[in-house]
Amino acid sequence: MGTNFFGGKRDAWLLVIGMFVAVLVFALFTSDFNLSSFAITLVSGLFQGMLLFLVASGLSLVFGLMDILNFAQGAYFMVGAYLAYDLQHATGVFNITEAVPDPNIRFIIGVLVALFVGAVLGWVLERWLLRPLYDRPLFQLVLTFGVSIIMLEGIRNIWNTTPYSWTDLFAIREAEFTLFGQAFSMYRLFVIGIGILLIIGIALLLRRTRLGIIVRAGVEDPEMVSALGINVRVVFTLVFTLGCAVAAFGGAIAAPFLGATISLGSTFLIQAIAVIVLGGLGSYEGTAVGSIIVGLALAAMQQFSIGVNIPVLATITPMLLLVIVLLVRPQGLFGEAR
Amino acid sequence: MAQTRPISANAPARSANAQNVSFVASLRENWLYWLILIVLVLFPFIIGWLSGDSPFGTPRGDRMVMRGESVYAQSVLINIFALSVLVMSYNLMFGFTGVISFGHALFFGLGGYLMGIILEFGGMDPNIGLIVALVVVLVVTGILGFIVGIVSLRLRGIYFAIFTLAIAEMGWLFFRGLSITNGEDGLNVASLPEWLDPARNRIMVYYVGLALFVLTFVLIRRLVNSPVGSVFQAIRENEERAQVLGYNTLHYKLFSITVAGMLAGLAGMLLAIMNKEARPEILNVSVTVDALLMTIIGGVGTFTGPVIGASGLHLLDTFLREAVVTIGPITIDIGERWTLILGFIFVLVVLIFPYGMVGTWQRLRMRFKRSK
Amino acid sequence: MSDNILEVRDIHTFIGQFHILEGVSVSVPSGAITVLLGRNGAGKTTTLRSIMGLNQVTQGDISYMNGSLVGKNAHKIAQLGIGYVPEHRAIFKELSVRENLQIAARKKGDLENNLDFVFELFPDLKRLIELPGGNLSGGQQQMLAIARALVPDNGLLLIDEPSEGLAPIIIQQLIAAIRTLAANKTVLLVEQNFRVASLLADYFVIIDDGHSVASGSMADLHKEHELVQRYLGVA
Repeated sequence: MGTNFFGGKRDAWLLVIGMFVAVLVFALFTSDFNLSSFAITLVSGLFQGMLLFLVASGLSLVFGLMDILNFAQGAYFMVGAYLAYDLQHATGVFNITEAVPDPNIRFIIGVLVALFVGAVLGWVLERWLLRPLYDRPLFQLVLTFGVSIIMLEGIRNIWNTTPYSWTDLFAIREAEFTLFGQAFSMYRLFVIGIGILLIIGIALLLRRTRLGIIVRAGVEDPEMVSALGINVRVVFTLVFTLGCAVAAFGGAIAAPFLGATISLGSTFLIQAIAVIVLGGLGSYEGTAVGSIIVGLALAAMQQFSIGVNIPVLATITPMLLLVIVLLVRPQGLFGEAR
Repeated sequence: MAQTRPISANAPARSANAQNVSFVASLRENWLYWLILIVLVLFPFIIGWLSGDSPFGTPRGDRMVMRGESVYAQSVLINIFALSVLVMSYNLMFGFTGVISFGHALFFGLGGYLMGIILEFGGMDPNIGLIVALVVVLVVTGILGFIVGIVSLRLRGIYFAIFTLAIAEMGWLFFRGLSITNGEDGLNVASLPEWLDPARNRIMVYYVGLALFVLTFVLIRRLVNSPVGSVFQAIRENEERAQVLGYNTLHYKLFSITVAGMLAGLAGMLLAIMNKEARPEILNVSVTVDALLMTIIGGVGTFTGPVIGASGLHLLDTFLREAVVTIGPITIDIGERWTLILGFIFVLVVLIFPYGMVGTWQRLRMRFKRSK
Repeated sequence: MSDNILEVRDIHTFIGQFHILEGVSVSVPSGAITVLLGRNGAGKTTTLRSIMGLNQVTQGDISYMNGSLVGKNAHKIAQLGIGYVPEHRAIFKELSVRENLQIAARKKGDLENNLDFVFELFPDLKRLIELPGGNLSGGQQQMLAIARALVPDNGLLLIDEPSEGLAPIIIQQLIAAIRTLAANKTVLLVEQNFRVASLLADYFVIIDDGHSVASGSMADLHKEHELVQRYLGVA
């Protein structure tokens, strides 16, 4: 077998390109070939895709490395959203509006606090609860589920069950940019930009650093990694912590759009699971590409379902896409065929 | 897998003498099961006798109103029966055959919805409608299980699990958006035959539920102890080895998934009869997750584990939801914190019972016996 | 034989509920090649894995350079200077050959100091350096797996079935390479192919059904026809 530009994964990339083209053509079609409404679909799709990536990336790395499907990942996203909302608004539990009058700085504080809290909670879960259970994967599943319930209830007790919607305005929410004659809030571009930076950043981490090499090797065979003298448990903890931190960070930067609601976690969790399986378990590029495809398809379907007045079409899109991909390619886009 | 036990490759020879086991010996071996069965049969009357409320409800005018301790207790047990059948069916597939599905809610939900739709829109006599519904539920869940099983030929492990999750989620979203079943509000099932109407004849629903529960338990026990069951377990331990031994593992997996799907459909029917409605929640992934968690907590691949997991969690759910505990000056409203407590229960059970409750008990007993 | 670098004394190992090793003792003399012989499923691989800390030893002792290995984690054991080349190679298929070697470096300079020796031993690897490990042939993967164990300064190499599934001509190259590297390293080998084992090893230990049943110098084994016949099934 020779190598080529696609690194031996030509079929997967061809399929990906095909899907991209299909989704974009479909989006053009649903916007009646009107470029400004196509722009809406495009921006909204990339935006949703990036939010998905923020949840899915941690899920994917953790699953690839440790074979744990972290049911609590959605809860971390939610914690991030609540923290960011709370620190931004005067009605929150921790009111910092007087200490920090500048809403932009409050947003940055909120995001950083979410990142930090996500990391700490992630570390606690891996180090103290999951680690004793490494030879009992099923119980890890139950445990992450139990922890997600506890986190959800924790949120319910600290805040309350009525959904919060983001009211505070700050610089990037007010600024605008234009695409194909259509004006968008700069905030959308900000989230898309952060997503792209993160995709590239994690890819560089995986490709160029020693930690990255260890993680990729660990995805294949953690036992062999430890037989080479590397404490693979520490790497597990680190990756798990990072994954949870990124999810909480995602919740925080998504909060100005999604607000903070109790159902946020489970919605994103299920879609993110669909994304990582569609992309191929254990494959980072699969998760990145899968997030964007699902995001774009969601946006196009949202547009389409308004036209034909069948709202359920949009909500089933990630699942439908997953089912189709698995029927064509049972190992997912970039998964290893067995 | 939580439990490893050596498999017997030449299983077909084993069950040959099962027929010869005398009734008395079986009675001695299974006395506890028989005792529980007798208690369950008499249960409405025992509660009625203890509380002084009639097991048939309170008469008002010429009809019965479903009020009183016994009638209430029956409803709790009917829910447990439905839940246990669901969890046992899940365990057949997951615990005994090693197939992990995240889409079991689809079968459960379809049982409820198909029955509701046939009874409400079929325009048939309720009794005939019920029979038609029973047949349709069994056929549809059976065919669906078969199709899902065929797909499992191509998908392995977690891919299969997520594939079934996706299918079930689509089912949930579909029925949530379906206007003839009232979308998120769900479908009221008013046209039940009178003898099986829980608002008039709760005790009949109780016995139908008990019958389903007992039949499922016996069926699964028979099946797993049969030669087919040994192949199931061989697949669970090591599918490739089972193939090498000459079994067409696909056929066996198909069979297990199909039977599990049909049983789940029946459980969904029972719940829909009891609640007199089919709501989209019965298709939600949380039903599957509940079944999975109850199986694991009770004991994967044991006969009684799923029943203990299902009834334990449901009883806790029912009684703690309204409980308020006062210890000295501190009053704790458990109902308000119930879900939080549930989360802690999951975490604690996982850390305390490494093989589920029944599995851990069996191991402890084995160790005790061995050391004696 | 006081200068044994590794001394395995009467170890017992369970895998799940199965008692795989029921008393295995192996002495590995410093600077020589020792081979574990025995039928399939006798417990040779489990012995190597027990030494490496990948299977838990429940009884008995393993001492390496006068320190006990029992109860230590695999990565700690590796850091003491033991290189492991498992059966079926277990190279990282998604990683390039270079990355496969990089990951084995335990401290700065490991790779730079030993790369020349590795390329001298396996010149093929030099031109394959940027390829993913999965694209290599079976023989090349085996070379990479051994090379990976040579990157850090290991004193002892545990090599499991190097000749398995390889063409005779590749086996010849491997035998030459293992002989060369054994000039300044100790090797504990598992080898099913009796001919390969006799070409390589100085000492042998026979394992049968979880017990070590015989040991001695390889030269003597050739005279013990009865022993060879009984435990190894070769004439």
